[in-house]
Amino acid sequence: MIPDVQFEMQQSQQALSSALQQVSTGLRVNQLSDDPNASAAMVTSLATSANVDQYTKNVNALQSQMQTVDSALSAVVTSLNSAITAGTSGANGTNSSANKAAILTQVQGILSNVIAQANTSYQGVYVFGGSASTTPPFVNAATSFVSTQGSVGSLSTPLTAGSTTTISDAGTGGEFVFQAKAGDTVATLATAMAAAVTAGTLSAGANISVSGSVTVSNTNNVGIAVSTTDPVFGSMTATTGTEIQDSYLYVGNSTVNSAKVGDSLSVKTNLPGDQVFTSGADVIGSLTGLISALKGGTTTQIGTATGAVNTALNYLSAQRVPFDNSISQLNAQESFLGQETVTLSSQQTSLVGISLADAATNLSQAQQTNSAVLAAAAKSIPMTLLDYLK
Amino acid sequence: MSLSTSLSIAVQAIAADTGALQVTNNNIANASTPGYTRRTVLLQQAAPSEPTGTSAGNGVVLEGYQSVRDELIQSQIQNQTQSQGSANSQLASLQQIQPVFTTSTEDIGTQMSALFASLSSLSTNPTSSATRAGVLTAAQNLATAFNTTSNALTTQQTGLNSQVTQDVSQINDLTQQIAALSPQLAALKKTGQDGGTLQDQQDQLVLRLSALTSVSVTKTEGGDTLTTGNGIPLVVGSQSFALQTTVGANGMQQVLDANSANVTSSLTGGDLGGTIQTRDQTIPSLVNQLDTLANQFGTAFNAAQAKGFDQNGNAGQNLFTLPASVAGSAGSISMTVTDPTLVAASSDGTTGSNGNVTNLTALQTTALPSGTTPISAYSKLVYQVGSLTANASAESKATTSSLLQLNNQLNSVSGVSIDQESVNLITYQQAYAAAARVVTTIQQLFQVTLSMGT
Repeated sequence: MIPDVQFEMQQSQQALSSALQQVSTGLRVNQLSDDPNASAAMVTSLATSANVDQYTKNVNALQSQMQTVDSALSAVVTSLNSAITAGTSGANGTNSSANKAAILTQVQGILSNVIAQANTSYQGVYVFGGSASTTPPFVNAATSFVSTQGSVGSLSTPLTAGSTTTISDAGTGGEFVFQAKAGDTVATLATAMAAAVTAGTLSAGANISVSGSVTVSNTNNVGIAVSTTDPVFGSMTATTGTEIQDSYLYVGNSTVNSAKVGDSLSVKTNLPGDQVFTSGADVIGSLTGLISALKGGTTTQIGTATGAVNTALNYLSAQRVPFDNSISQLNAQESFLGQETVTLSSQQTSLVGISLADAATNLSQAQQTNSAVLAAAAKSIPMTLLDYLK
Repeated sequence: MSLSTSLSIAVQAIAADTGALQVTNNNIANASTPGYTRRTVLLQQAAPSEPTGTSAGNGVVLEGYQSVRDELIQSQIQNQTQSQGSANSQLASLQQIQPVFTTSTEDIGTQMSALFASLSSLSTNPTSSATRAGVLTAAQNLATAFNTTSNALTTQQTGLNSQVTQDVSQINDLTQQIAALSPQLAALKKTGQDGGTLQDQQDQLVLRLSALTSVSVTKTEGGDTLTTGNGIPLVVGSQSFALQTTVGANGMQQVLDANSANVTSSLTGGDLGGTIQTRDQTIPSLVNQLDTLANQFGTAFNAAQAKGFDQNGNAGQNLFTLPASVAGSAGSISMTVTDPTLVAASSDGTTGSNGNVTNLTALQTTALPSGTTPISAYSKLVYQVGSLTANASAESKATTSSLLQLNNQLNSVSGVSIDQESVNLITYQQAYAAAARVVTTIQQLFQVTLSMGT
């Protein structure tokens, strides 16, 4: 009898301990062996939860970044509307020279503002630079750029394999990209530039010279912008006094990044500047054209240039539509992910959790069982014939 | 019948009752002694000295004592003890393995999710040094989780390896003791006597042996023969055959029989069987699956790295260092790089590109060569560990319950019932008193008879 009583006491105490654990942790499954299926399902459910949490963080991060982009575009729209107003005013034949000069200054200011917006950065990332996002994507065109390293020495100096040197050309509107291979020297770059001139990517007059530092220039005073990743050059900066007023070049790239905000939903995280500001109805080009017309053009030419700005405005507005849609999509996804978090939490509770009511009931039952076992043990253990033979 | 004969009968009755009281006393004294088998007294009518029908009888004689045994139940208890020993051994090991696979902040599943989350975060800001460092930290944490889990398994295996040596040593001690008892028991049986205390001792030793390994007992005239479940002799009569241990090619203790043949894989049941089962099958299977997961995941991650470019514009290099073979991958997987710029997020060599993050995060939903995604492979492992532990726990509970019932059955046959012995005590006490009264009565009759002439 005693082993039976001991076994029953042990069983009921284990059940009581288990019930207490359920109440204190709120979990039905406290170790894998409590429910192996639920434990395994929890692994995948928690992985899904981790994804949903990260998607939510991505949404929050992208919302701020995309709002920054949208604000910049909105400011550009405002600037273009101002430019159209100024251009319309400038196309009026009755303007005095002073008025024309004032309008010119106003439009030049608008261009500067647009360039500032196009060089907007968010947390150190230039949002209109494509994937070349660590330097301003729009730079003032200059006729000469010099390397900062200053120790190149000669044309035979080797370049760093894998490095890239880019020359944007305002004359051709093209971009020359040179990626150095093992064994390439500065002379190799010079040869490639000459070939680009022949091909029409670079304007005639493109030149490279070495005198301690490397100088890339256009001897015909065509505006260029030079950038490089080659540590041999350091970086390329415009030579003082060679900047061309009201002329800007895009030195970013066309890469569009995407980020996942759902298992099957990705959104574009950036808008390359060339797509928005320099291609299609060229926003910056239209403003440059208006400035040029205001400087010495006829009223008709000013009117035509103003019309081009208007076209650019329409183009920019059209570009904003899919982008704004992405912002709306993010907002909708944020709500969906919030619901998904609740659903997963509920799923996890049903997998391994226990309701407080159930846990309390289980504990109450276990306590009663334990009390009953102890009471029964107290009554049955001393019962022998000897008790009645006194 | 003469008075002398009557007196003789009464004296015999007193002797028989004294013997019966001694048996009852011994039973009560051993009521709580483990393995004690209840004795009964064998009383028999004395053979008549005169033809039947003319004699009132010659009283009672004490023939001897008899242990009340049930060998079938005893055998069933031995079998269940073997099962219980094996289940308990496996359960103890698995309960120590289980926590490293339980969801926590440091388990493989959580760290794997954290790595993919860090990569997803990188896609929103591929130039951020902090986010890149976050990826490396998460990757390092995952490698550490693999190392820790593998280490927990191999540590457990090493502990079980020591247990094998201890179990074999205990088995040898027990078989020696059983063999030492065998000649005395055989001698008793040859003379038709009850094995009594010696048999109890042997049964207890066999039971203890059953808790260590499966044992088959064959009873013969010359003594019992004990073999393991698959026939490896342990005791034959008065001779015991010691098992030995030696370090095998895999670095694990191997069990050899008396002929130096390796019998490790054939030992089942009991603590030794369960230990060998866990050490040589359960843990290696888990380690192999863990190694495969670590190796295939690390290889796939490195391959995805190679598809992209790091922040310096160079082709992505391996993030994880893996051994040449799958074996040992989980234990030795480590980080090749510590420079955050070497995370190959870019797909075109530019610093701001995140194009290759897609390839890296795709690992989460892409089946490894094993046929399942990394997290599914891990959840399968979690299920296996949970299932093995649950099965061992159920087996342990079932055998404990079964043993309880069998022991109850055995106790109802062979155990000492205080109630029963109390009744016997009173019965024999009264019988003794009655026999003594007979002696007194006969003494008075003698006195009467002797005084007839005076």
